[in-house]
Order: sequence, then C-alpha cells, then structure tokens
Amino acid sequence: MKTQSERLGEIIEVSTTGFTAQCYELYELPPLGSLVKTTEGDIELYAVVYQATTEGLEPGRKPIARGKDEASEEAIFQSSPQLAKLLRSEFSALVVGHKDGDKILQYLPPRPARIHSFVHACMPGEIKAFSQAFGFLNILVNAELETPSDELIAAVLRLMSTMHEDSRAFLVGTGKELAALLGQDYAKLKAVLERIKP
Amino acid sequence: MLDLSRVAGQIEEMVGQLKAGGQERQEHLARALTLMVDRTLDFEKLKRKAAQSKTTFLVAGLVELLATHTQSIDTPTDFSIIATDGSQIDVDRHQSARCYLINIGRIRLDYGQNPRAMLESLPKLCANDNDLVISNGTKEQVVEGALLNIKRSVDECKHLAEMAAELLISQPSLAVIDGSLILWGLASKEYPDFVVEELLDKGFIKCLDDMLKLAKDRPFALASYISFPRSTDVVNALRLALCPHDLADCDKYCGEINIGKRPCDAVAGVQDRDLFANLLADGERSALFTSQSKIVKENYGKHWVNFFYMKLEDEIARVEIPEWVAQDAAKLGLTHALMLDQCRRGQGYPAALAEAHEQAVVTGAVRQNFQQLVEILMTDEHMLQATSAKSRSKKTRWV
Repeated sequence: MKTQSERLGEIIEVSTTGFTAQCYELYELPPLGSLVKTTEGDIELYAVVYQATTEGLEPGRKPIARGKDEASEEAIFQSSPQLAKLLRSEFSALVVGHKDGDKILQYLPPRPARIHSFVHACMPGEIKAFSQAFGFLNILVNAELETPSDELIAAVLRLMSTMHEDSRAFLVGTGKELAALLGQDYAKLKAVLERIKP
Repeated sequence: MLDLSRVAGQIEEMVGQLKAGGQERQEHLARALTLMVDRTLDFEKLKRKAAQSKTTFLVAGLVELLATHTQSIDTPTDFSIIATDGSQIDVDRHQSARCYLINIGRIRLDYGQNPRAMLESLPKLCANDNDLVISNGTKEQVVEGALLNIKRSVDECKHLAEMAAELLISQPSLAVIDGSLILWGLASKEYPDFVVEELLDKGFIKCLDDMLKLAKDRPFALASYISFPRSTDVVNALRLALCPHDLADCDKYCGEINIGKRPCDAVAGVQDRDLFANLLADGERSALFTSQSKIVKENYGKHWVNFFYMKLEDEIARVEIPEWVAQDAAKLGLTHALMLDQCRRGQGYPAALAEAHEQAVVTGAVRQNFQQLVEILMTDEHMLQATSAKSRSKKTRWV
C-alpha cells in the first residue's frame, strides 16, 4: 500500500464550495465520489470528486475522429504523439469539510483553496478518519451539481465503506442519516439505497 | 465600417470575369501540358536556354526531365520531425514604449517505437537598441514591419537549427520550415548591404550552415513547405520552349510587343500547380528544379534552393530544399517520404507545421492583452504614458 498520497492535479478554478483541477497526465482521473484533499495555509480541505471531463486544451480546437484506418485506440496516439499534449483531463470536487489542527470539521472552511494548489488523493486512513462522522452527507444532499446527487452520494458511500472493517455497519449508519435528511424525498432516498446495497 | 451590401455587386462582377477567363486558361494549360510530355523537346538545349536567357520573369533551372514523376519510398520505422513557426507583435508607433515581440512555436514529434511529442512556444520581447535597429556603426535600419517579418523568419531558422542539434544521431529526421527557403522579403526591397549581411549571411545562412554540418554524418534533411503555391517558375521554363530565339532576351526581342501577344504567352496564366495536378499521381513528386532568383544566386552558395512539387489528396504543394539535400539521393528520398507522411497525418498539411503554428499564433485578443500589460506595468512604475490621440480614439469609440 502506498504510504504517500498521490498528487492528482492542480487547481485551475476555485470557489467557496468547490474547485476544478487539471490532471498532470491525460485520463489520470480520480474516481467519481473519491475523497481528495488540498491545503489553504494551515488548513487541509477535503472534497469529493463529482465531475470529470476530457477535452481539447484550447476552446477553439475540437478533437476530430482519427482512427478510421488505425488498428487500435493506442495506435491513434502513436501516429499522432502530439495528441496527448493537446487534450486535458479535469475533475471538479465539492468541498465537504476541512481539518484544522487535529480536528476534522464537516462543514465549509473559512477560505477557499488557491489557484495552482496541488490536489492529492486521500489515504485509506484519512478516508476512514473523515467518515467517522456523517455531517458531510448534508452538504452532498444539498449541493446542486451537474451530477445527480443520488449517484454521487452512492458513489461516495461505496468507496468509503471499503475503508471500514465493518462496511455493512457503516452503510447502515449512513443509510439512517440519509433517511433523516431525505425524509421528504423518498424517491431519492430509494435511489441512493439501491445503489449502495452490498 | 465596410458596407458589405455595396461590395456584393462588385464580387459578382469579379466572379463573372474569372469565369470568362477560365476558357482561355484551359487552352493555355493544355498547351503547357503538351510541352511537359513532349519527347521531341531537346531537354539539354532547353536547360541551357533556361540557364542563360535574359528574361523578365523568373525561370526554373532544370535538373531532371520535365515529365519525371517519382513515387515516395517507404517511411522508416522510427523517425523524428522538427518544425518551427513564428508570429510577432509589431512596434506600435502610437504607444510610448518602443518594443516588439516575436513568439516562436517549436515542435518535435518522434514516431515509431517510442512516440513522443514536444510542443512549446517561446516568446521574446525586444526593446534593446540592438534589437530595434540593425546598424553597421554609421548607418542604421529600423526593425519593424516587413523587416521584422524577415527577422522572425531568421529566428524561426535559428530555433530549428538549435533543435536539430538535439536530435538522435542515428534517427532519420526532417527539419521543416513554413513557407519558402528563399527570404523573398529581403529580395523585394532595396535593403542596404549591411542589413542583408546581418539577416541573411550571419543569420539565415549561418543556421543552414549549422544544419549542413549536422547532416554530413547522419540521415538528416531540411525542407520548407509551401501550401497552395502560386509560383510559375516551371511554366516560365515552358515559355522558353515556345520562344523562337536561340537565347531569350525579353526586353530586346519582345520589349515593344504587348503582353498577351508574345509567342510565349500561349502558356500565360497557367501556374506550376496546374501542371502538376495533371501530371502527378497521389503522393508522387515532380522533377527537381532549381531557383534562379537573384537572392539565391548571390547569397545561398552551397544551400542553393532546389524544389519539387508533390501531389496530395487535395492540393499540390511545393517543397524547397537546399542543394545538399537535392544532390543526396537518400536525403531527397527521405524528405519526400517524411513530408508526404506528415501531410497524411495532418489532414493534408504537415502535422508538425500545423502544431508549430498553433504554438506561435498571437490572436487579436492576446495582442490587446499584451499592450494592456505593457501599459499597466509602466503605470505601476509611475512612468509617463504618452499614447497617441489616434490610438485612444480607436479604443474609446463614441457617437
């Protein structure tokens, strides 16, 4: 197991509630729902990945189909080695908490991250520590994002549950918390629960 | 502002004229094509005539038989392409800071077992006296406008030579320049000798010298690529075939005859690319020719510019090469194969050049941002900003 957390990318857009980061390598994106972190001064910010895109580096240059006469997708990149440098992968993450000193706080930090801050993947220990409390679920439930919130919440919980020895107990606990939060929206609650069934 | 509705009528008229001229041009083209494949034509005689005549038009020097058409060899498994392109922000005489900017796009593409790409753009702001004028001590020439264009071409070549030095010795490689190897800008105006010496002899030619040195012991070639060429050097050689005199002397024999009535006008209006669109099959190159322009004769020495045309799916391209590539069959074959391969990879235009352009390009918006940045930084330092009223009037438009 890795002892150092992997550097995933660098922040290129930021706001109080989230940020967008560019990956250093094409397609090396963190999975949907994974917990990532960045720093602002002494504070460590935690966020979950809710969106990923890959597109042309420049807005005016759209990728075109190139593989008609190529045997494999890999061959396309071999015939045009510049492609990997002309495309970029980005991911957006929603801030779900922060760490001030030793304390993990599941609400928004006082200041957003900064442009060009590095984004790292969280280590299993960090994910486990962060998911001891369920306050972050409230942020996820109330966020208005391009990705449907039931999909995102389910993805977050599936990943987090694998970090707990008793993943079932973790899912039951979060399920109860969600039931309280989504009491008015039975359809959404059902959608999330169906997606986290062991 | 331009009123397009007023131009529309004039465009229609222009299209009409072009259509009317089409019939005559077809007849001239047919005549020119007959000459290109005429086996009774004495090639050696025409070659001498092309070399020795005094013409008012630029005639290609002949090297290979006119109807030559050569297929490309296979591309090597591993090879590299390097290319540069540049653009500039010219001196703005309405601004108080005198400066210009040259942005060079540099591309290296490695193909084969270890494909790799290097794309970068290197901007250079020039505001020193050394950059702003070319001087010989007693006289100076201001670098702006057309001269800046030439300086940029020289810079493109310098960067190319630099990149060439970093190539793998054993790897077949081609360095590609955008446009012509001939610095036409220097030829078209009467620049003082010290300007020509600085930009051509100590600049462009010196870079070609550096690349020639590298090319001596490795499979490396240099070529420039001209898309949609408008040149008529080869058609002008056909004019000599039609000329009834042993050696042509346009001013002497035809100086009094109206243009259009001279014997050689039977191929007037035809361009070289029209000929080769008909003579070449896809991917083939034409015969080799040499440039007989004055600037090449006087300054290029061992880099004497040769050229051939190449047929691509949608167009005829002109590829210019220095003499040392033209006379080395392996380098010539490599140039043809790699240039063709680049065009096929780049949807009809060399991929490396297209990327070099993308790296070099300075858009209108960036130009404005650059001027603003200069102004902001100068104001920050409390330097008096004297800008012209004309410039302010363009920025702040009122009714």
